[in-house]
Amino acid sequence: MSRGASSLPESLSRHFVPFALVALAAVPGLRGDLVFMACLLAVAGLSVYFTRRRMQQIRAAGELKERLDRQLIQAQKLASIGELSSGIAHEINNPLAVIAREVEWVQSILKDEDLSERKSLDDIEDSLREINRQVDRCQEITYKLLDFARKQEPLLQSLNVNALMEDMVKLVEKVTTKKKVRFVRDYREDLPLLHTDGPLLRQVFLNLLNNAVYAVEDQGTVAVATRLEDDGRVTVTVSDDGCGIPPENLNRVFDPFFTTKPQGKGTGLGLSLCHGIVSKLGGTLSAASRTGEGATFTVRLPLEQGASSP
Amino acid sequence: MDALRALVVDDEEDFLETIVKRMQRRKVDVQGVESGEAALRALEACPWDVVVLDIKMPGMDGIETLREIKKRSPTVEVILLTGHGSIESGMQGMRLGAFDYVIKPPDLDELLEKMAQARERKMLHEKRIEEGLS
Repeated sequence: MSRGASSLPESLSRHFVPFALVALAAVPGLRGDLVFMACLLAVAGLSVYFTRRRMQQIRAAGELKERLDRQLIQAQKLASIGELSSGIAHEINNPLAVIAREVEWVQSILKDEDLSERKSLDDIEDSLREINRQVDRCQEITYKLLDFARKQEPLLQSLNVNALMEDMVKLVEKVTTKKKVRFVRDYREDLPLLHTDGPLLRQVFLNLLNNAVYAVEDQGTVAVATRLEDDGRVTVTVSDDGCGIPPENLNRVFDPFFTTKPQGKGTGLGLSLCHGIVSKLGGTLSAASRTGEGATFTVRLPLEQGASSP
Repeated sequence: MDALRALVVDDEEDFLETIVKRMQRRKVDVQGVESGEAALRALEACPWDVVVLDIKMPGMDGIETLREIKKRSPTVEVILLTGHGSIESGMQGMRLGAFDYVIKPPDLDELLEKMAQARERKMLHEKRIEEGLS
């Protein structure tokens, strides 16, 4: 902003030129009235010129505010269209910090200038204060989103559970080349659509199938079935005819870090994660087994997520 | 509803070309890229609904790419593709937030249906976030 630079030529022009013209009027031979008119026009013209420049400066300040506002709104839009990991949240805070610094900078420049139009200055200051308020609000939003992101609620869609399970069975089937494992399906026909979280359920089924295949050793059968219970809930079972789970382990099978696999082969987290997921989906996961007789894992889910909440 | 915007990521040129062409014929607004790095650049350039991502790629593999996608554009849904599957990477991918996992070569109708479901999930996700802000 070149306010300082323009005020000197401005004041000179405003005062000097008219004087020059008045002085000219004193020159004999020149028509005084015409010189007087010329003088008035000159003063008017200069006023218009310098007022226009002043307006441009105010407009520039207004445009700066608009640009900052747009950046802010864009930042808010970005914040609202994605869940923020803390990395993204910090990224939004960085431009906000820059905006805040810009605001301070503009404020200090304006403080130094001797602007004679007090009202427009006040307006600019108000705008800048508003920008600051929005900046504070953006920071509030990012903090709120960071908090929000931690609460992971399932996203519910109407899904065909038979199809979902079949996809996972096909996948595991294709990949199980090392053993002779037979996959048996028994899907309930016309099973109603389940209002649930697809990816989460897929994780559970994949985990159960993986465990079943592992339990079977060299050869055997993994059976999956879906049922509609009398209480309106859907039951999905994954069974194997492997070595089974001894009674002392049966209660611990959903404990985090509990595993009977050799070191490095399993984290022991799979079933505890599954249990957590199924609970989040409003259902239950249970295990039944007898040593030497294989195991059956049962997932029970309500058709509507809220249906079975106490 | 606008055409679904899909990004297909696969280092196998022939497969990529074929699947992109077939999707285009089905009115999908689709682009194909050959690496994880290229996928991330494309994501930065414009908005996408669904990414169909090959797990086994040289350089930046599918899992790493998935991780980055979920970090930068958390609502974009990812469907994992594999030719030589291993349950572990599929499960890992699901844990990292992949929407689904299909075996190559995928049945196009099935894949398109999954992509539609994935986009629906993205919209639910975005709606929930907006509601959280009000």
